[in-house]
This record gives sequence, structure tokens and C-alpha cells, in this order.
Amino acid sequence: MQHRPSSSRRSSFWLSLVILGLIVAMLTACAAPGAPAPAATPPPSGADPLAELVAAAKAEGMLTTIALPHDWCNYGETIATFKAKYGLEVNELNPDAGSAEEIEAVKANKGSKGPQAPDVLDVGFGFGPQLVEEQIAMPYKVRTWDTIPDNVKHPDGFWYGDYYGVLGFQVATDFVENVPRKWSDLLKPEYKGKVALAGDPRLSNQAIQSVNAAALAMGGSLMDPTPGLEFFKKLNEVGNFVPVIAKAATIASGETPIVIRWDYLALTDRDTFAGNPNIEFVVPEDAPPLAGVYVQAISAYAPHPNAAKLWMEFLYSDEGQLIWLKGYCHPIRYNDLVARNAIPADIAAKLPPAEPYAKAVFPTLDELNTAREIVTKNWDAVVGADVK
Amino acid sequence: MKRWRLWNWFWIVLSLVYFFLPLIATVHFSLRAKRGELSLLAYQQMIEDPRIFPALLFSTQVGILTILLGLGLIVPTVYWVRLKAPHLRPILEFLSLLPFVIPAVVLVFGLIRVYSRGALALTNTMAGTNFLLIAAYVIIGLPYLYRAVDAGMSAINVVTLTEAAQSLGAGWGTVLWRVIIPNLRSAMLGAAFLILAIVLGEFTVASFLVGLRAFGPVIWQVGQNRAYEASALVIFSFVITWILMGMIHFVGRRGAVEGGVAAGPR
Amino acid sequence: MSSKHVAAGATVSGSLYPRLSFLTISRTLVTWAGVVPFLVFAFLFLLLPSLYLFIGSLQDAKGQFTLANFRALFTPSILSAYVITIRISLATALMGGVIGFFLAYALVMGNVPPWVRSALMTFCGVASNFAGVPLAQAFIFTLGRVGLITVLFRELFGLDLYDIGFNLYSFWGLSVTYLYFQLPLMVLVITPAIEGMRREWREAAENLGASSTQYWRYVGLPILMPSLLGSMILLFGNAFGAYATALSLTGGLINLVTILIGSQIRGDVLRNPNLGYALAVGMVIVMAVMMTIYYVLRRRSEHWLRA
Repeated sequence: MQHRPSSSRRSSFWLSLVILGLIVAMLTACAAPGAPAPAATPPPSGADPLAELVAAAKAEGMLTTIALPHDWCNYGETIATFKAKYGLEVNELNPDAGSAEEIEAVKANKGSKGPQAPDVLDVGFGFGPQLVEEQIAMPYKVRTWDTIPDNVKHPDGFWYGDYYGVLGFQVATDFVENVPRKWSDLLKPEYKGKVALAGDPRLSNQAIQSVNAAALAMGGSLMDPTPGLEFFKKLNEVGNFVPVIAKAATIASGETPIVIRWDYLALTDRDTFAGNPNIEFVVPEDAPPLAGVYVQAISAYAPHPNAAKLWMEFLYSDEGQLIWLKGYCHPIRYNDLVARNAIPADIAAKLPPAEPYAKAVFPTLDELNTAREIVTKNWDAVVGADVK
Repeated sequence: MKRWRLWNWFWIVLSLVYFFLPLIATVHFSLRAKRGELSLLAYQQMIEDPRIFPALLFSTQVGILTILLGLGLIVPTVYWVRLKAPHLRPILEFLSLLPFVIPAVVLVFGLIRVYSRGALALTNTMAGTNFLLIAAYVIIGLPYLYRAVDAGMSAINVVTLTEAAQSLGAGWGTVLWRVIIPNLRSAMLGAAFLILAIVLGEFTVASFLVGLRAFGPVIWQVGQNRAYEASALVIFSFVITWILMGMIHFVGRRGAVEGGVAAGPR
Repeated sequence: MSSKHVAAGATVSGSLYPRLSFLTISRTLVTWAGVVPFLVFAFLFLLLPSLYLFIGSLQDAKGQFTLANFRALFTPSILSAYVITIRISLATALMGGVIGFFLAYALVMGNVPPWVRSALMTFCGVASNFAGVPLAQAFIFTLGRVGLITVLFRELFGLDLYDIGFNLYSFWGLSVTYLYFQLPLMVLVITPAIEGMRREWREAAENLGASSTQYWRYVGLPILMPSLLGSMILLFGNAFGAYATALSLTGGLINLVTILIGSQIRGDVLRNPNLGYALAVGMVIVMAVMMTIYYVLRRRSEHWLRA
């Protein structure tokens, strides 16, 4: 057992050093500067009120986004158009992040100027007040500010509603003989093992709202989701509920042919599947449709504040709003667009019938928080979280 | 002896059935992209996506660097502990299991919190961020890395080998490099496979640190809300990872053989 | 050569005069020296980043010190989440450990063609990290209500697996799914240990008239036991920290600690990250307890080896 410790330490030290050097060398090789930003296109008209902002944003060169899946509300086209129009690079962080993660990302990056710090957020309506409370949003009012309804924006511009959708049934008609029309239909024996949620009601806003929406049909109210919980309990007991988190693949394979989902996601699926399988979106008849709103905000620590402001101007311009509408998200300035006849006929023709949307109910922040609290607290106990 | 052979093949065949059925089912589904017929449409649409190849290249580089850094860190440490400081083993084992219970999302935000400001602002440069990603993957891979290397060391008699080599006049570096490492071949290969698979598939850390530069987030972005393409991507990344591992296997074997030969006669 | 003599001399003097305390101290320091690079790395990139988890678990939303988060761990639904998580981790670690050992043994000792062995070993590398949504979907396609096997059984034998009590969305369904990454992990980490076993040992035992059972009881298992236990605790941890697979397969109906943590720190819902951190610290504690049990068992097996 004779050793020469000092020399061993030296050798392991040298080994670490060599490896570290190797790594640094390879990293610098990986990190060779990217292609220069494409040459700026001159603004179309001389008197662009945004000219100054555009110039400032271009000087920053980049926008960092988070939680924007390309098939969600047509964000793919939004980002591509924005890039092409202003010649900015768009750095996309975690496209799958939930609202809580977006907020954590902002907080963790306080004081950081790196590309990990998100500039702009798209979070659930219920998170708006938290942004103000924790002082992590930067106030900004877009030029079209006045046409955003007052009840879905912060008076000082810390956050502002961006789009909304309503909940309904996405039905893969190839696997379901009779398309359910009402919430109560879902309990019928013919739908055994066919009904699923698009999220876990302890984690996902969409799933919580699904419980709330069911509550509206079962005698509850926006403040009282318990009948909705009871409904899912029954759905589980009769064996109709499949606990799988529904995704495009489980819908297309027929494992979860009926999913409770936002209209824009269901309708996008319908287009992507293009008949393989056929999708029908149903707004249930036995309750007013429940609407869900998302909000935009700029991070208080945004490394590219001007690019962020330009992004907001773009999103809230008619052009940006119509791109959302093409993705079946009702933009927050929808009524303004309708009033000014600004919706092109080809986009309008593809939208679902407008009639149920007129009856849609929009929960207030208070109602959202109360219902959310009850659903997340009681889901386990009422519906039963014991997989045996 | 015959019964014994039957017993071995029983487990191999059973495992093959278990391993391949879910893959076959996934392939089967991915071929249904055209209604009513089997086609490669999903694969065609996937391969045409321009984001996939650069991200794969990036993640492969990250994977190789992670393997080098991880093994460079763990092999000497485990060797040392086995030889000189067995009482430190519990500390090492506990640290190596810790990454299982620290959620990835906590780890990545923690890393950003520590290394995005002040003197250690690694995230301000691309190279710094890449290094942070590699460090995070060494941590995430630590449980596998440690266990694989430790199992390898326990299979060879480290103490005897070291004493024998030293009595022949070999220095420490020589012992580690020419005697221990060649004998750890399969353990180090196993660790390398595990790490490469982690790096190519990992989503959370990559998506918050480097976004769509890495393979995991790109796969997610391309496949999300797509039914058949998502399954095609799963098969594609499975096969790609498998091929890359085959390459590591090949290179690792050859390297080990050469090392072994060199160590012999001298 | 001369340096070797110096080294030998130094240790001899160390063992001859153990009372020279500064030498003992410097020896302790020296034994630590070799692990310093690793400890520094683990401190910088594991402990330091997770520090706010430990601190956060002791704070409320306003940053004030509190024990409320830990008190909340003792509510029935959270306790039952720990129980279920430990149960599924133990079950899949045991099943994966045993089957994985048989498979690895067959691959190493079973005269398998080398290419089959290489292909399967690399395959294990890929499969051991095949988890989350892709794994859940692969099993849904295979054993779901309209899965390949389920449909095959229905068409060939007129038998509906779900009518005879099978359910993929159950504890055992989830366990079978977990095995897909547990089993290959076992194969990868146990193979080097099996390779270390000499064929001659078995032959020698047989020549001495030992039966197969006797060989395993007195030679094989005692030698392998430390590695087997070490691998099983790895498998336990692997399942214990798993999240995405269970969520996408049985989301909403299974109560795992990792899912509870997820709901507190990453969901779309108003949350309490501090409670999430406390839940994670609880997992660290469970892990430490498992480590202790593992150490006791390993000690025993090492005594067994010496006896």
C-alpha cells in the first residue's frame, strides 16, 4: 500500500486541467459567431411612427421568447413574420413552459443579460396580478391600447389580454359513432374509455377550466366548481374517463377520441390532421361556453426592452391580431376588428359559427382564483387519485 | 448444461420481445400518416425540417464533451476513493444519488441564478452557456456515471493491480492510464452510452439554457401537436442515438485494445 | 526508482509512529486531496444551485422563516403520495434488478454471438433513457385500449384484455412501463461486475462437486451482492425521481411526489414553490434513509463474503 499522494494529486490535477482546456477549446469552436443579421429592409413608408422603436430594437438585434409552441395560436407564423419584417433574431426558450415556469425564468434571470433571460411573457389571465405584485413586469402601452377591453388589462399597462378561446369537445369522429353534444352525454355507456382531459387538473389551467366548464352544466357556478368535480368523479366511476394526458398522437390513434380542449387547439388539430382522422369541435349545448384569456407582459429585467416593445406593437397591430385569428385564437381586439370590417373574408370563412361565442362567459380574476383553489385542493379527494 | 443455455436464451428472447413490441407499435403508428395506407410521409416531412440536423450536431458535441468531462472527473475520483479513502465512499455515493431528487427545473434555475451575474456570469457568453449546459449534464448523469464506474472498479482488483504496476516502477498517471482505464472498458462504455442518451433526449435544462439550439427542444417543437411526425421523430432519435452509441462502442473498443497492447510489453 | 523508495519510506514512518499527530493529520488531508476536484465540481454545479431549494423550503411566500411547509408534508394526501412513490420505485427496482441481472448474465456468460451482445448493450443505453411522453405513447400504442397487442388479442382470440382485468392505466401498468428504462439500466451497470466473475470459479466449484445452487449461495451471490445492491439503489432513485412518464400515462389519477412538486413549481396554476421545495427536501431525506438501509445490507453482505 505504498503511494505517492502528491504525485497522484498532481496527475489528477493535470488531467482535469487538460480536459478543461480541451473543453474550452471545443466550446470556443462551437461558439463561432453566427451569421450576421440580414440586411435591414427599409420601412415601407416615410412617416412610420414606430421608426424610432424599430431602430432601437434593431440595435439590440434579438428578442428572447418563452413558452411559444409554433402550433399554438399560429405562433409559428407570428414569429416568422416578425423576424422577416424587422430582421431581428428570435431566440426561443422552452416552448413547453407553463406560466409558473415563465415567471420562475424571469426571476432566476434577474440581473442577467444573457440569452437565457426571457424578454416577453404569455401567461394565463390569473397570473396577471402576480406579475405586478412581484414587480417582474415592465409597463408598456401599445398604440392600440384603447381598443383592448378594460376588464382584461392592467390600467397601468403591466399586463394586457392577448387572445381567448372557449372550451369544448374535440371529437375524432372516426372512433365515435354519435358525437356528444352535451356535457351530460359524456356519461353515456357508449363513451366507455373514450373521454380524456388535455392536462392534469393539479397542474394545467386548461384542465382546471374543463372542470369549471362542466360545473356550469351541472348546476354549479363560476365560484362553485364542486359539481364539476362530482361530474368527473362519475365519469371515472362509469369507466368513461381515460387518465392519459391527451396529445395529438393519442387522439389520432383513437385512444382518447374525445378530449376537452380549447377551441383553437382542437381546430388547429383538425387542419393538421386533414381528415386523418376527422375531427369535429363541439361547443356543448347544455352550458354557456367558458372562455379562457391569456395575457402578454414584458419582463422587468428584459435584456432587449425595445425589441420586446416592438414585439408587442406587432402582436397588437391588425396584422398580428389577424395571424392569431388564423390560428383560431380570438384576438383580444376581435370586436374592434369586426367593427372596422378588418377581417378578410378568407379568414372569416374558416372560423367556427360565431353564435356560441356571443354567449361565452369570462370569469373574473376573483372567480378564477376561487375555483382554481377548490379544484386543485379537492381533485385528489373527490375524483380519487389512487391508481391501483 | 443444455438447460442452462435454454435459461439464458429464455431471458434474452423475453427481453427482446418486451423491448421491441413498443417500438414496433410506434413505428406502425408513424406509418399511418396517410389515411388508409401505410406510408413514409411522416418521416419525409420530418427529415425536410431544417432545424433538426444542426441541433443534432450541437447536442452530439455537447454529449461527447460531457462524456469526457464526466469520465475525467469520476474515474480518478472513484479510483482514489477505492484505494486511499474508502471512508469517503458514503459521501460520494450520496452526492451521486442527489441529482435524482433535485428536479431538473430547480437545477436549471439554480444554475442560472448562480451563474448569470457577478464575477461568475457564465451565461453572458455562448461558450459560458455551453459549459454550463455540459456541467449540468455531468450532474444529471452523475448517478449513472458513478455507478457504472464503481461497478467496473469492483470487478477488477484495483489494489492488487496498482501495487503490481507500482512495483514495476509505474507512476500514478501511468497506472491510471495504462492499467486501470484499459480494464474499465465496458464500464466506461456503459457510462458513455448513458450520458449520450441523456444529452440527446434531455429537454428541461436545454430548453431554458440554450432553447432551440439543442436536439431535445427541437424534437419537441417539431413533434408537438403532430401525431404521426412525433412518433416518427421518436423512432428517428432512437435509431440515431443507437447508431451514435455503436460508433462510441467501436471507437472505445479499439482505443482500449490499443491501450492494452501498449501497456503489455513495456 | 528512487522516488519509489521515498514513497515507501514515508508510509512506513507514518505507520511506525502513529502518535505523531501532524503526520496523521497530513495523511487525512492527503486522503481528501484526491477527491477535491470532484467535490469542488459537485459543490459548484450541484449543491450551490440547489441551495435555494433548501433555503426556500424553510421560507414562506414573503421570504420569512417558517416550518409550515414541512408541517404540510404530513397531510394525508402528501403522505400517501410518498407511500405510492416509494412503492412503485421499490417494485420496479426489484423487478428491473432481478430480470436485468438475468439478462446481463445471459449476455455475458451465455455464449451469445458478440454482435448480438454489442447490439443489445448499446440498445440498453438508448432504452435506459427512453422515458416521458414518447415512452408513455409507445405503451399506449402497444397495450392501450386500441393498442397493437390489445387489438391483436381481440382479433385472434376474441379476448379483450381490459375485460379480464388488465389496465395499462394502473399501478401495474405503470410499473411495466417503468421497466422499459429500469431493466436496461440494470443491464448496463451490472455487466462489468458479472464480467469480473471468472468462468473458472464455477468450473472449480463444479469439480469440487458443488451444485449450481451451492455455487450461487456460497460463491456467486456473495461476490456480486455489493454490486447488486448498489445497482438496485440506483434503480430505486431512477424511478423515485421519474415524472413525465407517469404524468402522461396516468396524469390526474396518480399521486406521485414528483407530480405534486411539479404542480407547485412549474404548472399553469397558482402555486406555492416553497411547499414544492419542502416536498423535494422530503425526497432527499427518503433517499438518505434508503442509502442507510443500503449500507447496512452491504455491510452484511461483505461480512457474509468474509465468513
